[in-house]
Amino acid sequence: MAAQPYGLIATFESASGVYHAAETVRDAGFKHWDCITPFPVHGLDRAMGVKRSVVPRFALAGGVLGFSSAMGLAFFTGAVDYKIIVGGKPFFSPIPTTPIAVELGILCAAIGTVLGFFFMCGFPMHYHPVLKSDRIVPALDDKFLIVIEARDPKFNLAQTKALLEKIGGQDVKELEA
Amino acid sequence: MSTHAAPAPTVLPAAIPAAPAPAPQANAGKALGIGLAGLALTALGLLVPGNASAVAVAWLVGVVFWTAVAIGMLMLVMIHHLTDAGWSVVLRRQFEHGISGFKWLLLLFIPLLVASWLGAGDIVWPWGNLNHVMHGGHTVGHDPLYEKKSALLNLRTFSIVSVAVFAFWIWISARLRKASFAQDLDGDAKWSAMNHGTSASGITLTALTLTAGALCWIMSLEYHWGSTIYGMWFFSDCIRGALSVGLLVQLWLYNRGDLKGILNKKHLHSIGMFMHAFTAFWAYVAFCQYLLIWSADIPEETFWYNLRELNHDGSTNQWWYVGLGLVFFNFLVPFLLLLSYKHKITPAKVAPIAAWILGTVVLDLVYNIVPVLKDAHGDPQPFLSLNLVWIVTAVIGVGGVFAWSYLKSFASTKLIPIRDPRIVECITYHE
Amino acid sequence: MSQVQTSVATQAILDEVKPAVLPRPVLVENNRSHAWITDKVCGVIEGKTPLWWWICFAVASAVASCSVIGFAYLVSTGVGVWGHANPVNWAWDIINFVFWVGIAHAGTLISAILCLARQNWRTSINRTAEAMTIFSVACAGLFPALHVGRVWLAVLPGYLFPAPNANGIWPNFRSALEWDVFAVSTYGSVSVLFWYVGLIPDLGTLRDRFFKRGDKIRSAIYGFFAMGWRGSNRHWVNHEMAYLLLAGISTLMVVSVCTIVSFDFATSLIPGWHTTIFPPYFVSGAIYSGFAMVLTLLLPMRAIFKFEDLITAYHIDCLCKITLVMGTLVGYAYLMEFVIAWYGANPNEGFTFVNRTFGLYSWAYWIMFTCNVVTPQFLWFKKVRANFAWVFILTIFINIGMWFERFVIIVTSLARDFLPSSWGYYSPSIVEILTFFGTFGVFSVLFLLFIRLLPIIPMAEVKSVTPQADVHGKHS
Repeated sequence: MAAQPYGLIATFESASGVYHAAETVRDAGFKHWDCITPFPVHGLDRAMGVKRSVVPRFALAGGVLGFSSAMGLAFFTGAVDYKIIVGGKPFFSPIPTTPIAVELGILCAAIGTVLGFFFMCGFPMHYHPVLKSDRIVPALDDKFLIVIEARDPKFNLAQTKALLEKIGGQDVKELEA
Repeated sequence: MSTHAAPAPTVLPAAIPAAPAPAPQANAGKALGIGLAGLALTALGLLVPGNASAVAVAWLVGVVFWTAVAIGMLMLVMIHHLTDAGWSVVLRRQFEHGISGFKWLLLLFIPLLVASWLGAGDIVWPWGNLNHVMHGGHTVGHDPLYEKKSALLNLRTFSIVSVAVFAFWIWISARLRKASFAQDLDGDAKWSAMNHGTSASGITLTALTLTAGALCWIMSLEYHWGSTIYGMWFFSDCIRGALSVGLLVQLWLYNRGDLKGILNKKHLHSIGMFMHAFTAFWAYVAFCQYLLIWSADIPEETFWYNLRELNHDGSTNQWWYVGLGLVFFNFLVPFLLLLSYKHKITPAKVAPIAAWILGTVVLDLVYNIVPVLKDAHGDPQPFLSLNLVWIVTAVIGVGGVFAWSYLKSFASTKLIPIRDPRIVECITYHE
Repeated sequence: MSQVQTSVATQAILDEVKPAVLPRPVLVENNRSHAWITDKVCGVIEGKTPLWWWICFAVASAVASCSVIGFAYLVSTGVGVWGHANPVNWAWDIINFVFWVGIAHAGTLISAILCLARQNWRTSINRTAEAMTIFSVACAGLFPALHVGRVWLAVLPGYLFPAPNANGIWPNFRSALEWDVFAVSTYGSVSVLFWYVGLIPDLGTLRDRFFKRGDKIRSAIYGFFAMGWRGSNRHWVNHEMAYLLLAGISTLMVVSVCTIVSFDFATSLIPGWHTTIFPPYFVSGAIYSGFAMVLTLLLPMRAIFKFEDLITAYHIDCLCKITLVMGTLVGYAYLMEFVIAWYGANPNEGFTFVNRTFGLYSWAYWIMFTCNVVTPQFLWFKKVRANFAWVFILTIFINIGMWFERFVIIVTSLARDFLPSSWGYYSPSIVEILTFFGTFGVFSVLFLLFIRLLPIIPMAEVKSVTPQADVHGKHS
């Protein structure tokens, strides 16, 4: 017997087509579904009901960590571990340490951003049913897809297929897991 | 500042008002009343014996602060035109009203020149009187450093420069306003092109004139000292002041109902981002100046900061705390608050932040200007003193006149530039 | 605050008001489709390696070998092979470092600041500009790393990297040179991260296209770096946010790095170096030279690959205008230096500026002044901005001028320092000249590899600013 499908996949020709379709799918109450687009479609996150990204928190954490560790390093090396007078300046002062702290803060904030982005997307994820579909080539070129997963409580093969066709989805097919 | 979105959407919110905005005449009158009252109160300070300099310096703080706001508005209008920006069209109209105030600011600046010419030459700027006794006993006239700088630092050159920079701002503001208001009537794209051209050369000349203003009016108060970044420092305060006033005015109009359906979260977010960026820019400029002087440690430069930290006997003076306060309150607090998206888009949160920034920009100017008032030992007069009263009344007084000028201009034209080629882009600007 | 409610009925108001009509320039000419963009950009990578590429690559490698030989000779013999001698102990090494770091800044500016300022025209050029940034930083990094002569000292603890040396002493965190270590390594790392995050969607496209063509090896390589990108909108939300954050972070970085480079000079006591405008002056100078270099690279690239529809005349016009703004800012800094040199009434400072202008190195000063202040003035004219041959020539002059700016700042101040008895005249040795010449080869080799292996135009970003991408637009 055929395995349980991953879900249903439908193709849309235009950005506005997928946008309006997404609004309908969202209002139908689906939770486990996705739009696949070749570029970030302006406003689609709202049409899908996706919340604002939380990546900034990772960036902030990285920045604070970097800034404070540079300050801590300069304090420990200059005022604790090996005190040495250079240029008549104090052993530790936040003033000349700021450039280093800013740079390290920037570096760690950037690393935090990238790690946060990967973490929130679940990357690396080299296997995915959508990637296996031959529709991924046009979807990363000029077509748009909507995928509704079978694990969604509202998923019903026939009804969901009818819904996708009604909102303009073309070539609605089952997507194997 | 611009959005090159796809072709203009073909819909427009119903709220677009084609009729002129309701005339806020009563508000204008009130603003003028407050302004004149503030100025009169400041002038009352002259009745306190030996207080003339303190009053004059406070007056300078008031005029310079609102001039800075107006310069910032002028710069932002020109940046808007140069970048062919879309989202800031409505905000630009508020700035166009604001820059009508230059002529009144000049009028309020002139008493300082008159006092220097007719009264004591050193009432504000110590070099204005060759017999002014410097710390150490010699007079300005016998100061070799003054002799080298006397070509610029004499009342005649100074007055010419001051009036000339104001005259330039008045002229270019009138030119920008005229073209923009004319477009409201005929909807001709040539006005946009004209403002684009005015801005291209205008922005260069405004940068030079605002630097000249900062050097003459503020830096020369301590004329032994010079810093090449000073013009940029002043510029950062100008833009921060203008953005904060612009934001508050927009929210006020929104609450009054004028901008309902026009102003949205995304506009607030963009203004907030600029406020955030220029808060960082101020810190950058101020920090670079401090670090370079601290690091090189040359007495001829460090004395400017030393004056604001220590008294002649080595005790810490109040200005030290003001300086520290600037680091935390003018930079850190607004910077951290504006990091948050929510703070930028919630009127109840961003309005206090904008008001706070205006307050700390005044504090920054006070830190740069007011220590010119010295006591008998050559130490700056303390921050917490009667002088503070005149500063507050002067800032409110000049602000009242500035607001009056804004409201008068506001009543004379359309609420938003309804025939601006980017108006639809501005009103439909959202995430 | 409520979102704007739009309705078709309001069209009537629009018809009544009749705002002025001033259409925005299109960002993709000839109304090209998304598929055309993908084919055009991927076609460069998927096609056969053209002959001109191999010729350029061979020439670039030959030029790069000058650097390799120059550095090998330096390391094996000692820093004496360069023309440094008292009082000028710092010359082409730091000049070239500042020159290359400066060029790097335009890339970050285009992708970061213009991204924050929502200048959508930057989309088609930011990939190239960022690549330029990374390769310039690589060239810049060579000089401080190798100028010590004994390069192994650069990696031993206690010299550059924060670790105690043999005597337990740590690097001096109060020194601007130590700040440089942090600044340049941060600059390199964050630029690569920013570039990479922007590349991920396009790598996904390449992965699948190669897979479809049956090229499993290349598909696997691009796929490895694409991290499993599948264009999911739930990922796009995070991607856009990460990109925006990196833009914000990079904006801080682009300003802070050149600031720290300027601190190398400005924290000292040398007349002509110690001045507070140095940080913004270096930042604007850096961006200025970088924009000139972006134009120098883009104009031929656009012609060779026939990218006229993606990198339009409007793009070149915008780049020219920013170059003009930055050139004017640099001119402002020159002016401020002279004003304060006079106003400061310090005889040493005054002498330095007179000496720069009319002293032994005045030839260098006037080359700098002509190239940096006079050249950009031509860009006021629309006709010049629209004539790409002219633009190309002007940008070459700006590149030359910006190199001389660093030469003037560094050499004139050192050659005439406080003690007239130690004054000298510095000339570079042939080793220095060849080493610097070679870095253009290093840069070109890296750049040629880039245009061969990676999508030089960010496909996803360009598609997102086309009219078809607008969900409310005419195309709905």
